[in-house]
Amino acid sequence: MSTVAIRNVHKSYGALPVIHCVSLDISDGEFVALVGPSGCGKSTLLRMIAGLEDITAGDIVIADRVVNDIAPKDRDIAMVFQNYALYPHMNVRQNMGFALRQRKISRDEIDRRVMNAARILGLEQLLDRKPRALSGGQRQRVAMGRAIVRNPNVFLFDEPLSNLDAKLRVQMRSELKELHQRLGVTTVYVTHDQIEAMTLADRVVVMNGGIVEQMGPPLELYDKPMSLFVAAFIGSPPMNFLEGSLNTPNALILDDGTEVALPAPVAGNGRTTIGVRPEHLFLTDAGWPAVVSVIEPTGSETQITARLGDYVIRVLIRGRTDVQPGETIHVSAKPADIHVFDTASGRRRETVTT
Amino acid sequence: MTSLALSGGTRKSRFWPRVRIAAGLLACVIFLFPVFWMVLSSFKAQRDIFTVPPTLFFTPTLQHYFEYMQRADISRRMINTIIVAAGSGIISIVAGGMAGYALARIRLRGAGTIGVLILLSRGVPPIALAVPMFLVARSLGVTDQHITLILAYCTFLIPYVMWLMRGFFLALPKELEESAMIDGCSRMGAFFKIIVPISMPGILSTLIFSMILAWEELLFALVLTNRYASTIPVAIAGIAGDTVNGANWGALTAVGTFTVLPVVVFALLVQKWLIQGLADGATKG
Ligand SMILES: Nc1ncnc2c1ncn2[C@@H]1O[C@H](COP(=O)(O)OP(=O)(O)OP(=O)(O)O)[C@@H](O)[C@H]1O
Ligand SMILES: [Mg+2]
Repeated sequence: MSTVAIRNVHKSYGALPVIHCVSLDISDGEFVALVGPSGCGKSTLLRMIAGLEDITAGDIVIADRVVNDIAPKDRDIAMVFQNYALYPHMNVRQNMGFALRQRKISRDEIDRRVMNAARILGLEQLLDRKPRALSGGQRQRVAMGRAIVRNPNVFLFDEPLSNLDAKLRVQMRSELKELHQRLGVTTVYVTHDQIEAMTLADRVVVMNGGIVEQMGPPLELYDKPMSLFVAAFIGSPPMNFLEGSLNTPNALILDDGTEVALPAPVAGNGRTTIGVRPEHLFLTDAGWPAVVSVIEPTGSETQITARLGDYVIRVLIRGRTDVQPGETIHVSAKPADIHVFDTASGRRRETVTT
Repeated sequence: MTSLALSGGTRKSRFWPRVRIAAGLLACVIFLFPVFWMVLSSFKAQRDIFTVPPTLFFTPTLQHYFEYMQRADISRRMINTIIVAAGSGIISIVAGGMAGYALARIRLRGAGTIGVLILLSRGVPPIALAVPMFLVARSLGVTDQHITLILAYCTFLIPYVMWLMRGFFLALPKELEESAMIDGCSRMGAFFKIIVPISMPGILSTLIFSMILAWEELLFALVLTNRYASTIPVAIAGIAGDTVNGANWGALTAVGTFTVLPVVVFALLVQKWLIQGLADGATKG
């Protein structure tokens, strides 16, 4: 059983704090994705779990054992790096067997486990090649193979797919998910790609500036972002935001005077930002007026870009439309699909549902 | 005849590259001429060396080589030079290599300053160190010993090796060792099992460069050795500076050629390794 617990962990480089009190409990077999913009501390947190960085304050617990002062090699973890870090002077077989050789496992057992991993990853033909004779995708697989032969307590991934081209990335993503379902090893996966995080993980942790903004199952983050940051970060194309003041609970007055009627009354007052995902906006006869600027059909759906007051909004509708650029359309959304945030604090504000 | 037409059309653009190549060749000739002359003279009989005008056509002879190579002091000095160059080269690659790794990787307060200080020590003119070293060696009773010269050479070889190796190690992705450390190695284990094998081209070239430096060193050898551990450069200086009999040019050029030969061979080898090391993309996973 290998759970991972991060308890009130802080990290500073000299006087510069980069992780501010992060706590996270990962249950056995869970797949957790750490996601956030560049520099938010994802890699640092992962490297602290691996033991490659000291922990400034707090505890990291792996399999019920505090590992703060335990060397990486004794934590029983395996890590896949963004640049794969394959040993260039060893062939694929030796690369995959290296960790087992360090652990003085018998040759037969090493061969068996390497062959097994090679079969899972489709690397049988490449076992005698050196890393430099492999393509990017093959190197990535070898890096994964090196991790799975270990049969470790925890897998750690730091942006393992970001050096692959778009198509291969999608393919490896599903392979990774399948692999996790098959092996069931507790996994912490760092990525800056929210789609990757959403599709892979049981639970997504959104980080920002060294703190955890929100964590939860992917769809929960999508359905109920607790802050403007998470709302903007999760979802593609990104959520539309309109900012204004709330004079009555039923209408948001934008700065240029446009009145945006709210389908349900909202609590609170003062500066307010509302957010609606492009896929939740629909065309109606009486909604918010917007002037169409661009129509982008993809066949199955159509993305309409339009101006609403000073804002550019995106509307994603299924199927096709005969709306033309320059036309004024009216859009609206269901009350449940409108997210309301306090502009100043960025926190979510609950709509009053009556 | 398209090539003719082409070359006619591009004559202008080929002019400057040709000038550059010609200038390069000229520079090579100027720099290599003394070497050429030394090698040539070493095969001349004594009377051919001083003919005026100098002759390119003569009956070659190995007389000087036989004569001076058979002398006990020359062959012993050759052996001394090999012992000292190999000894100081190996000690400094081990010590300097590990120090360079530490400087490149270990996050330590003041590591940068320490590194710069060690490098700055290279700025001290060797002449300022030679005499104090002699005094130290004398009071320890180790003048004219191989080990004395080896240690003296290490004082300038280690900083040099350290900085070269630090550069090599900085160019390697640190994930390589991190991966090895997660895979079950200590930092030392990761260094010896992963970093050293990968850096072999760099390590070997640095080793050979430092052996060449030790091979041709004169000042310390002159001050710290006498007869027993004396090296070839000392012998050359002795022949050239023989005020009693006058310089024996036959001997000088023969010994000189013999001394330069391994340097040239090794330098070419190193160059090949270096280029191979780069082409291999040792740093690319
Ligand atoms: N060795 C270091 N010394 C000082 N600051 C560092 C060091 N390593 C990282 N940092 C800082 O810590 C912060 C977090 O870095 P980290 O690598 O964890 O970001 P990240 O979320 O992984 O970003 P990315 O998506 O770009 O990889 C950054 O602001 C970075 O500048
Ligand atoms: Mg990172």
